[in-house]
Amino acid sequence: MFVSRSMTREVITVDPEKTVFEAQELMADNRIRHLPVIDANRQLIGIVTDRDIRSAIPYNFIKDSCSAEQREAICALTVKDIMTVDPISVSPTYTIQDALLMIQNSKVGALPVVGDDGKLSGILSVRDLLRAFINVLGIGEPGTLLCILVEEKVGQLKKIVDAITEENISFGSVLVARYWDENKRAVFTYLLTQNVSRVKKKLISLGFTLLDPMEWYLDQLPKNELPPESTE
Amino acid sequence: MNKTGFLHDERYQLHLTSDYHPEVPERLTCVYRGIQEAGLLSSLIHIEASRADMKWIELVHDGRYIQRFEAACLSGKRMFDSPDNQLCYDTYETALLAAGGILDAVGRVMEGELDNAFCAVRPPGHHAEVARAMGFCYFNNVAIAARYLQNQWGIQRVGIVDFDVHHGNGTQHIFEQDPTVYYYSIHEHPSFAYPGTGREFEYGKNSGHGYTQNSTVLPGQGDDEYKRLIEKDLIPAFEKFKPEVILVSVGFDAHIDDDMSDIKLSTEGFSWIMQRIVALGRQLSKGRIISVLEGGYSLKRLPELAANHVKILLNGKI
Repeated sequence: MFVSRSMTREVITVDPEKTVFEAQELMADNRIRHLPVIDANRQLIGIVTDRDIRSAIPYNFIKDSCSAEQREAICALTVKDIMTVDPISVSPTYTIQDALLMIQNSKVGALPVVGDDGKLSGILSVRDLLRAFINVLGIGEPGTLLCILVEEKVGQLKKIVDAITEENISFGSVLVARYWDENKRAVFTYLLTQNVSRVKKKLISLGFTLLDPMEWYLDQLPKNELPPESTE
Repeated sequence: MNKTGFLHDERYQLHLTSDYHPEVPERLTCVYRGIQEAGLLSSLIHIEASRADMKWIELVHDGRYIQRFEAACLSGKRMFDSPDNQLCYDTYETALLAAGGILDAVGRVMEGELDNAFCAVRPPGHHAEVARAMGFCYFNNVAIAARYLQNQWGIQRVGIVDFDVHHGNGTQHIFEQDPTVYYYSIHEHPSFAYPGTGREFEYGKNSGHGYTQNSTVLPGQGDDEYKRLIEKDLIPAFEKFKPEVILVSVGFDAHIDDDMSDIKLSTEGFSWIMQRIVALGRQLSKGRIISVLEGGYSLKRLPELAANHVKILLNGKI
C-alpha cells in the first residue's frame, strides 16, 4: 500500500519557461490535468493545472475581443508566472492511506512524488488512487457480494471468515461498515464465486442475518439525499 | 401452432459437478418432467445431442484453451480455471454434445424444418470466455451458435437476448467489438451479483459500440422492473437493429424461489418476458428463435418454468 506502487512513473513534466499555451497543448495531447514543473536537475519547483491555465487566459482573449497589448501580454505568459510554487508533494514511501487523506484535506487532484534527493519520481493522481481502490475492493475479478449483519462483539468476523473458507471460497475483499444500530456492524464480503447459495444458508444457520443490500443503502442515506422515487 | 424443436438428451447429464454444487444433472430431469407432465412432448419435434464439429468451436474459443479443457477432463481433474467450474471425465464430451445439439437445432430452423427451438443443455455457456472457463460454463454455446449462423447460413445480423440473472460476460466480451451481433442482457446489478460485469455504461467497443446493452436490476426487484426495462431498452434496440435470427440465453435463476439471486421474478414474469421475445421474433426475425438453457437452480420451479417456456414457443402465449 505504498505510493511508489500505485503512482504513475512516466511523468509528463513542463519546463518553467514554456508558454501557457504550450503547457495547455501538452495537457490536451496527453489527456492529463496536472503538469509538474521541474528544473534542469529534475528538482520539483512547481505544478501547473488545467485550472491555472483557464484562469490565466481571459474570456475576451478567446473571443478575440481584447487589445493588441493585452494579447501580447497573455501570449508572453509562461508556466513559471502561473504555477503553484512549492506544491504539496509526497514521498514514495508514504502509504496510499496517507495520500487519500492528504488529497481530501488539501483538495488537490494530484500529488507529485518526490524522493529524498528532491527529484521528481512520479505523480499520484485521483485516477491512480481510484485504480488502487478498485484493486482493494477486488471488483476486477468476478464475484458476488454478501451483506452480513453482525453483533459488535469479539470473534464475529472470524466465524464468518471460517464459514466461508470451509466452503473453499476465496475472498475478493471484506469491508466492515457502521450500521444504524450502534451495537451492530455490516460486513460486506466480496466472494470470488458464483456459487453462494450454500454459504448463505450456512451463515443464516450460524445465526447471522443477511442484509437486503437495498435496505442497507437507503437506511444509511440522510433523508434529503434519498434518490427520487421512480414514477414509472 | 409453431413447429418447435426440443433438444433433450440424457447424455447432458454425464457432466457431474461435486456435492453441494447447484449446477446438477437433476436440473434437466426437472425440465423434461415439467414439459412431459404439461402434455407438451407430442407437440414438440425431438432433437438428439450430436457432437459439434471442432471448426465451429474454434470460431469462438482459443485452440489451446480447448485442448487444455479436454486434457483437464481426461486426466481426471475435478476443477478447471476456478473452483466454480467443477468437472469430470465426461465434461468435455458433454460440452461438445451441447454445442453440437444447438447447432443442429439452429440448422433445422434455418432450413425451415422448425420455426423455433428450446435447447435444454448442460453445461451452460454464457460465462465462458474465449480462453477461460467461468461460472459453471466451458464452451459459450450461444456465441458458437451466432458464429455458425453467420458462417454457415450467411446471416448478417444476430440478436442475442440473455435473461439469466447473471450477466453473460463471455458472450458480451466475444461480441463487444462486433456490430453484426447485438448482445442484450438483463440481470441483477453487478455490484451485488456475479460476475461483476454488465454495467449500464458498457455499450460495446470500437465498431461494436452501440451493439451491446445491459439493463441492471437492483436486489429485491421483480416483474415490474423487468417489464419496464425490456420495453425501454430491448424493444427499441432490436426494432432498430432488425436481427434476422434471435438467440436467447434462458436462465431461470431470477425466480423468487431461486436462491442464486436476490431478484424476485414470478413464474408469470418469466412468461411475460418470453412472450415479448416471441412477439419480437415474429415481428423482426420471421419467428426464428433458438433458446438455450443457461442457469436456473430451483428444482421445485424448473418444471413449470420450462413447460411455460416451451408453451410460449409453440403458441406465442400460455
